[in-house]
Amino acid sequence: MSVATPDNIAGQGSVGIAQPGKIGTGNFLVVLVQLGLLALVLRQFQIESAAFLRLALLAFGGFAVHALLPLRFRLPFFLVLSLVGIGIVLGISNGVWLVAIGLVLIGICHLPVSFDVRAALLLGACGLLIALRAEWLPSLWSEAIWPILGSMFMFRLIVYFYDLRHDKAPVSVTRTLSYFFMLPNACFPLFPVVDYKTFRRNYYDQDAYQIYQVGIDWMVRGVIQLILYRFVYLYLTLAPSEVATPSDLARYLVSNFLLYLRISGQFHLIIGLLYLFGFRLPETNHRYLLAASFTDFWRRINIYWKDFMLKVFYYPIYFKLRGLGATRAMVLSTLFVFFITWFLHAYQWFWLRGTVLLAWQDVLFWAILGGLVVINSLWEARHGRERSLGTSPRSWRGFTTLTLKTFVTFCFICILWSFWTSESVSAWLSLWTVVGQVFSADVGLSSGLLLGAMLLAATARDNSGGDGAGKRGQPKRSWLPRHVVTMAVLLLLLLAGVERLHTQIGTTIGTVLHSLRSPRLNRLDNATLERGYYERLLHVDRFNSQLWEVYTKKPTRWLDVEDIGLKRFTGGFVGRELIPSIVIGTSFGTISVNRWGMRDRDYESQPAAGVYRIAMLGASSVMGWGVGDGETFEALLEDRMTHERREAPIEKYEILNFAVPGYDPPQQLVVFDKALTFGPHAVFYVATGREGSRATRMLATAVRGSVEIPYEDLRDVIQKAGLDANMDETLALKRLQPYREEVLSRIYRRIVEGSRARGIVPVLIFLPQVREGTWQDETPEILRIAEATGFVVVNLADIFVNQDINSIRIAEWDDHPNVRGHRLIADRLYEALRGKQDVIFNTTKR
Amino acid sequence: MTEDVKNALKQFILKEFLPEEDPEELTETTPLITGGVLDSIATLKLVMFIEERFGVTLQAHETDVEYLDTIAAIVNLVRSKKS
Repeated sequence: MSVATPDNIAGQGSVGIAQPGKIGTGNFLVVLVQLGLLALVLRQFQIESAAFLRLALLAFGGFAVHALLPLRFRLPFFLVLSLVGIGIVLGISNGVWLVAIGLVLIGICHLPVSFDVRAALLLGACGLLIALRAEWLPSLWSEAIWPILGSMFMFRLIVYFYDLRHDKAPVSVTRTLSYFFMLPNACFPLFPVVDYKTFRRNYYDQDAYQIYQVGIDWMVRGVIQLILYRFVYLYLTLAPSEVATPSDLARYLVSNFLLYLRISGQFHLIIGLLYLFGFRLPETNHRYLLAASFTDFWRRINIYWKDFMLKVFYYPIYFKLRGLGATRAMVLSTLFVFFITWFLHAYQWFWLRGTVLLAWQDVLFWAILGGLVVINSLWEARHGRERSLGTSPRSWRGFTTLTLKTFVTFCFICILWSFWTSESVSAWLSLWTVVGQVFSADVGLSSGLLLGAMLLAATARDNSGGDGAGKRGQPKRSWLPRHVVTMAVLLLLLLAGVERLHTQIGTTIGTVLHSLRSPRLNRLDNATLERGYYERLLHVDRFNSQLWEVYTKKPTRWLDVEDIGLKRFTGGFVGRELIPSIVIGTSFGTISVNRWGMRDRDYESQPAAGVYRIAMLGASSVMGWGVGDGETFEALLEDRMTHERREAPIEKYEILNFAVPGYDPPQQLVVFDKALTFGPHAVFYVATGREGSRATRMLATAVRGSVEIPYEDLRDVIQKAGLDANMDETLALKRLQPYREEVLSRIYRRIVEGSRARGIVPVLIFLPQVREGTWQDETPEILRIAEATGFVVVNLADIFVNQDINSIRIAEWDDHPNVRGHRLIADRLYEALRGKQDVIFNTTKR
Repeated sequence: MTEDVKNALKQFILKEFLPEEDPEELTETTPLITGGVLDSIATLKLVMFIEERFGVTLQAHETDVEYLDTIAAIVNLVRSKKS
């Protein structure tokens, strides 16, 4: 192993470059202008996270200095910038720990002992880290560093160590540290497996301006992909239970696969950013949507992973096995690669999420894909495949064949991908129940459009599938148009992000553009987040990257509403209820449950004379998860009404809080029956969104759990839908979906008619969840049904508009209202009730 | 020897992987792996050809871009193996 040398040399390929790293003033300014525009776009569209924006600004500012430094100072400068970036993102303390652990691992690689001993020591260190990550041993550092530490070392250490064994190039401390701690990594737990030799070899190996321009272009490409991803995520994705027609199925399959745009976009941002510092790395993926075979797909979807597999596993295994014959060695090596890919994905998951995740879908996906690649490889080995040194002219027959192959491959990959991302094998199988239906015209039209797009793409397809960064030995392109195009695109993006222009374009487009300007959970993930308060949802760990990012911010010791022992098991339709006469201290304050099982002060069973009693029904937001006793909006409203609204014959108001966390609309019927025994004058039913979906999900769960449903009209619906206890959840939900409105209507009607029959005023208060985004899709339905069934409706749907959401909810991963949120609700509700006082508080009608 | 090796490699690559291509387009600095001409299957075929044709033995790590990306690099590899 050679001694460390100064980092004053560009990569090996820089031979022939007159002044590696040098850039003219004009070009330097052009790059700066583009970076300035790009920074504005990143900010305007809130690309990734606030931490990434800080890192990007650091990188762009750092570039301005870096590009002017003598070459020998640039790598050390990049290293310093990277370490500063770690500190900015993770904090000083966490950053120091991360770097220290990394230095230990790197140090082991360079110990003056044999390679085998070093390997054993590395395995031992890895074992210790596993024990710490799994919390079998206490660690001295914050858990926040694990995803980034894992991201930096879990794969790159393997590559680096492999290269150490065979590489004759002198070791550079600065380069090694830059390789592991490279600047963008602090923000991205999912990071391309950058090859060490490529990282070294391609350093300033071309004209600097060309390198920087490619980097900017790739970052812009990444931004566009991330925006497209948001569109797909917010507007195109469907839950499996919502797939009711062949058209839905096609949409589900394609949109599911297109969510990969997130990874692709992030990787482009990452590598593009590294280009600014002279690292001319390969493309991370290459037009993977246009793969024309399974081997082609494997080569395109994640080039860095493919190269990592080839270098460390495929070729070494092949060379060891080639004595068995070339074909046999190839087959076994390929299968081994896919086995290792499955294993390393699980290994990666462990470092990022702290849990081991073994799912049959993962095993089967990689096994099936591996098998297809083997078959494809055998075919290619025998028949070859088309290759070219440039864009070769094709016949129309060639275009057609290529297009058809691309279309078939795309369809197959979408199907396989949907299997991989499904919650269970049975859930995936339930998708295909729609295949027997008549295919509507829009499926044919969509397929035709897709074929047309692929044909167009085939005419410009780069058959070589090269690294995209320019091929050496080919005539130099003119770079003039490139930065002009890039700037035009950046300006267009900036314009698209200007809110004032949205209203000029039209309401629909304006609304869509507005929604694409910030990261938010889609309606499906919002529902999952909500369910996550009450259920341990394992599938959140697998593919809901947007939701997972929310969860990664959640401290492991965070208490959810279900964790504090507030409820006891009762079985039956409600399952659990609040434990009576209990007092629990939480970080939010005391939660006291009275002798009747209400989170409220004590009351007599019947109202005294002069008391106007209200029974309030709801779930955790109404119960007041996240605030202490007396701070719930119900308590605040009760006090205010008693003090400010006393009018004979009413001397006092009582609001009995019957809300129970986790109760869905059908279960509120049980609570309603209980509330009636307390002699209320009014029933306030607080609906918080997605009432219909929650109701049908609850019924599906009840049927599958063989729970008796005590309401005949709900049993009728279940019978009409054809549910039974052995049905898969997805299929059960799908069957109930057409009856969603009917279910909700029956529930509301029961409450309204039960109230009116006793002279009780039924009031539905619509209270939204404390979050932005596409969760309000069922709100109009809820309000319409409430009005139609006879509720007095108090609509607070806009209560949180123009509010800083983060200041009125507990946390990003727990959007129950906090103290300020409850005060806001109490005040607004008070005003709303005052507006309907003649209808609600008219005691003469009783 | 260098010219012989170069010509033999060029002939093999053109015949095996680029039969429709103009031979003038394939130079000794044309990127083969990074240019997408050689995938893993083609690389192994090339390795087998190199070993049989020139009587050398390659190791797994010598399938890297550093050694096989261009005809010039392959010539250097073969020369170093022979010497």
